[in-house]
Amino acid sequence: MDEATVVSKVLVLEDNKPSRDGIRKFCESHNLVTLRAQAEHVMSVLKSNVDLGGIFLAEAFDGKAQGGLVLARRIHAIRPELPIFLRREVLASFEGITDSDQKAFTAAYVLENIESLTTDVDRTIFSLTYPNALLRGITEITKAALESQFKELDTLVEKPFVVKDRLIYGEIYTLIPVEGSWCRGYMMLQADELDLMKLVKADKTHVDPLGAGDFRNLNGLLGEITNLIWGAFKNRYFTSTDKPIFSGQVPIVINHLHRYISFGSDNPQLCFKYTLTDKSDPGKSLQIHQRFVFNLSWSPEDFAENIVSVDDLVESGELEMF
Amino acid sequence: MAQVLVVDDSSTVRNEVGDFLKNNGLTVALAVDGKDGLAKLQADPGIKLIVCDVNMPNMDGLTMAEKVRGELKNSTVNIIMLTTENSPAMKDRGKAAGIKGWIVKPFKGDAVLATFKKLAGA
Repeated sequence: MDEATVVSKVLVLEDNKPSRDGIRKFCESHNLVTLRAQAEHVMSVLKSNVDLGGIFLAEAFDGKAQGGLVLARRIHAIRPELPIFLRREVLASFEGITDSDQKAFTAAYVLENIESLTTDVDRTIFSLTYPNALLRGITEITKAALESQFKELDTLVEKPFVVKDRLIYGEIYTLIPVEGSWCRGYMMLQADELDLMKLVKADKTHVDPLGAGDFRNLNGLLGEITNLIWGAFKNRYFTSTDKPIFSGQVPIVINHLHRYISFGSDNPQLCFKYTLTDKSDPGKSLQIHQRFVFNLSWSPEDFAENIVSVDDLVESGELEMF
Repeated sequence: MAQVLVVDDSSTVRNEVGDFLKNNGLTVALAVDGKDGLAKLQADPGIKLIVCDVNMPNMDGLTMAEKVRGELKNSTVNIIMLTTENSPAMKDRGKAAGIKGWIVKPFKGDAVLATFKKLAGA
C-alpha cells in the first residue's frame, strides 16, 4: 500500500526556548505541525482550535514548578481525548506524579530523549494509515462536489491531517454512513452557518438568495454536498457486491452544550479542510471541515479503486438514454 | 397542470432543477420522496416527465418507478433518474421498470434541456 503522509496539529506549551526548538525539530520530522500558546491564552486557544492531534506540555510551564500539572488537569477535564506529552527536567517517567494526575498524560519524556516519544505519537496520533490514492481521491471528489454547488469561488484544500478532537466546528454538520468491505464509518461535513448564509445571499449557490435567512435552506445545501461526495466516493471505491464483514453499529453520542460528538472510538479522525473564497470579494469565505471516522472497521490493505473503462464512462451531468 | 415532476428529498436539488426548467418554459411540480411523487402523479395525470432521485427516505426512486408502472398502471410517463448512484445493478433495475434514462449528479441543465423538453412534450 502506498501510504500517504498526513500531518497533525499539536499545541506546544513550553517556556524554555531550547526545549521549544528541540520539540519543533522532533515535530517536523514526525509530521506534526506546531502551534504555540502563552499560558494565559491556552484555554481560549483550545476553544478556538477544534482540530488538534495532541499537546506537548512542560512540567514547569508558566514559570511554576508544577504549572504544567495544574494546567494538564484543566485541559484533561475538557479535552480528555487529546494525548498530552509531558516534558520533565530529570525523569522520563511519571515518578513523583500522583496516580490521579498521571491519567492526564500519555507519556513523560526528557528533551535529550524526545525520540522516545515516537512510539507514543504513532500509537496515539498516527494509529491509522491511509492509502495515498484514497486521500487524493477524496480531495478530487470533494472539490468537484463543491464546485458544482458554489459559483465563482476559489477552493483551497489543505493537506489532510488527523485529529483526536471530538469537537464540532460551526453550527451545521452532516453525517452519512460510509460502508464498504474494507472500511465502515461515517463522513461528516461541518460549516459555519453565518459564512454559508453570506455566500447564499451573495448568489454564489443555486439556492435563492432570498432564502438565505432560512436555516433549512442552508441545511439542504450542505446535505446535498454531502450526498454528492458520498455518491462519488461509493462509485469510486466500492462495488455493488461489496458486503461489510461485520454489520454491527455503535451509538453516536452528541452533546450540544459542549459541542461534542463521539463515535465510540479512540482512533484519530481523518480531516480535510476546504476554504472557499468569493473571487469577487475575498472577504467572503467559507470553511468546510470534512472528517472521515472509520470507527466500525478499517482495512487499508484491502483498499481498491474502481477502474472504469473509457468506453463505459458517462460524464456526470450527461444523460444516458436507455 | 404540470409537464414535469421533480422528485428529490433535497430542497436544493428540487429548487435548482425546478427553477431551471421553469426558466426554460416548462411547468413543474415538486415532490419530496417517492411516496409524495406517486401522490403528485396521481393528482396530476397530465405529467409527461418525471425527474427522480434514487436515494430518498420513505420510498426510493426505483421503487417509485416500479409502482408508477405497476400500481398506477402508467406506462406512458417518461422517467429519468437524477442520482449520485452509478451502479450497473441499479441501472438494470431502472431499465426493467421502464425508465428512459439516467443522469449521475450534479445536474447540468444545458446538457439535458433539449431532451427534457422533448420528453415533456414541449
